Amino acid sequence: MGVKIDPLKCTACMACELACGYHRDDAFALLSSCIVVYRTRDKKDYFGVILKEEEDLVIARPEGLEVKRIGAVEEGGGGGDASAKPMLLREACDLCEDRDDGPLCKQVCPVDAVYLD
Amino acid sequence: MEFLASDQIAIVDLASGEVETEEFSDELCQEKIGGAGINLALYNQHADGDPIVLGAGLFTGSMVPGSCLGVVTAKSPLTGQVAHAPLTQYLGMELKYSGFDYIVIKNAAAAPTMLWVHDGILDVEEAGGLAGLDVWAAVDQVRADKGDDLIQVLGTGPAAASSDLACLMNNYWPSGDRFGLGHALAAKNLKLVAIRGLGLLEIADDEEFVDQCVALQGEVKGGVWAGKKGLLDLAKGMGQDALADWLAPLVHRHRANFNTPFAANSFLFLQGDPSALPEPEEAEMGVLLTDLGAAALFQQMGLELGDAGAILKQCAKLGLDAGLAAKVCLDGGKTDAAAISGALEGLSGPVEGLSGPFSPATPKTAVFGVDQAGDDAWWTRRQAVAHIFGLDPLFVLLAPELSEAKLVELAGIGTELEFSQEGLDAVIAEVCG
Repeated sequence: MGVKIDPLKCTACMACELACGYHRDDAFALLSSCIVVYRTRDKKDYFGVILKEEEDLVIARPEGLEVKRIGAVEEGGGGGDASAKPMLLREACDLCEDRDDGPLCKQVCPVDAVYLD
Repeated sequence: MEFLASDQIAIVDLASGEVETEEFSDELCQEKIGGAGINLALYNQHADGDPIVLGAGLFTGSMVPGSCLGVVTAKSPLTGQVAHAPLTQYLGMELKYSGFDYIVIKNAAAAPTMLWVHDGILDVEEAGGLAGLDVWAAVDQVRADKGDDLIQVLGTGPAAASSDLACLMNNYWPSGDRFGLGHALAAKNLKLVAIRGLGLLEIADDEEFVDQCVALQGEVKGGVWAGKKGLLDLAKGMGQDALADWLAPLVHRHRANFNTPFAANSFLFLQGDPSALPEPEEAEMGVLLTDLGAAALFQQMGLELGDAGAILKQCAKLGLDAGLAAKVCLDGGKTDAAAISGALEGLSGPVEGLSGPFSPATPKTAVFGVDQAGDDAWWTRRQAVAHIFGLDPLFVLLAPELSEAKLVELAGIGTELEFSQEGLDAVIAEVCG
């Protein structure tokens, strides 16, 4: 089971990113989130979500999901845009293992773009 | 302020280029709460410097649903009154995490200037190289110069130097300022404020605060906005089906403001296929609509949507408030696309009917059947609540769950300070003028 993202439901509100940051830091911060909205291509209206898992970087693009092995990304780049630059240094998703209610990102997504499968 | 804050206020004197910092005291927060409440107190404190005050609300950047809003408080060139302009999308959040809770900008610079705000540092920099650039080029230039595409830019465009219809720009898009504050910024020779927020906000009782935010998120999720998205649904929710039908052919996707459940921004593709999803080759595909004001007037004038979109894009690059520009053109009898486009450079006010401290970019008419909507006193009070706590000014109209009692309770949990309904009433009265 893992966190999944429907990029066409996503509205780039960053609630998931904020929730993940809280899970990591017990404060509101965005620097350690393992789920990140990439949002630097404003003028193209192109945005999506990147999730770091133990072995994969999941890039939820509007046109579909792309899964990259972490090692391949480290060697070849291509892990998204500036929003995701530090992703490889961050801890991987642990499904908020300390929470009885499961991943906080899923719980706070207002449009159910984040789900478990 | 130890919690939900960066604990720092900057006082910038553009005339001397000096920056002073002050502690953001618990007492100030307890008395004025945040956002427009504290902005106004700082404005009055520094009134002799004709200040423009930037501030974040108490909950801006937090997990309270709708927590996107920053506020700019200044005297409007159009109304002559102090106004509170909204900073939505990611700009309010970025300010909150920048290391400053409030920035007071006093006096005027002798030469084109920009402010660079990041990591608790505020630099006053010369901006001669940006002075002649349009809004979009200036944003791109600043991000390239600083090497960070996530910098959020509160800026102005070429229109700001001479037109009182110039609005504050939020990166490439209009901010929702309907008060001509772009012109006020330009009068200080301040081209833009570049902000990057990489900070952290401590929470007094973090588990209780987050639990209550999650519960609140669950409550608002079933609200009147549920299942609706973007300005098309908003137009329909206001009974303007013809406007929605007019906009629909060019709408690409809808975007929300930071941590705001209802996505209130819609992108118009002015080239290519609006239904296409892959990343376009072209660098610029169209324009983001952040409210319905200008679009409604252009539709009323009988413009083709593509022509209206081109005018909206032209306004965005000039830093001109499209809603005000459309109204001035309509009042002046200019109702065809070529005449409007040709008149934009050099267009200025006055604008009839502007009043009050809050932007009419947030609709005053009933939306999605919310009972109280359309009641001017109720609308003004909800805007005050939004601008004090840092909440999306549209979403507070759609989410009665964000009640004043709940927000006062959350303020206490998040900060360990004592707040009361009576205290909130007093701040609301002040910011409403």
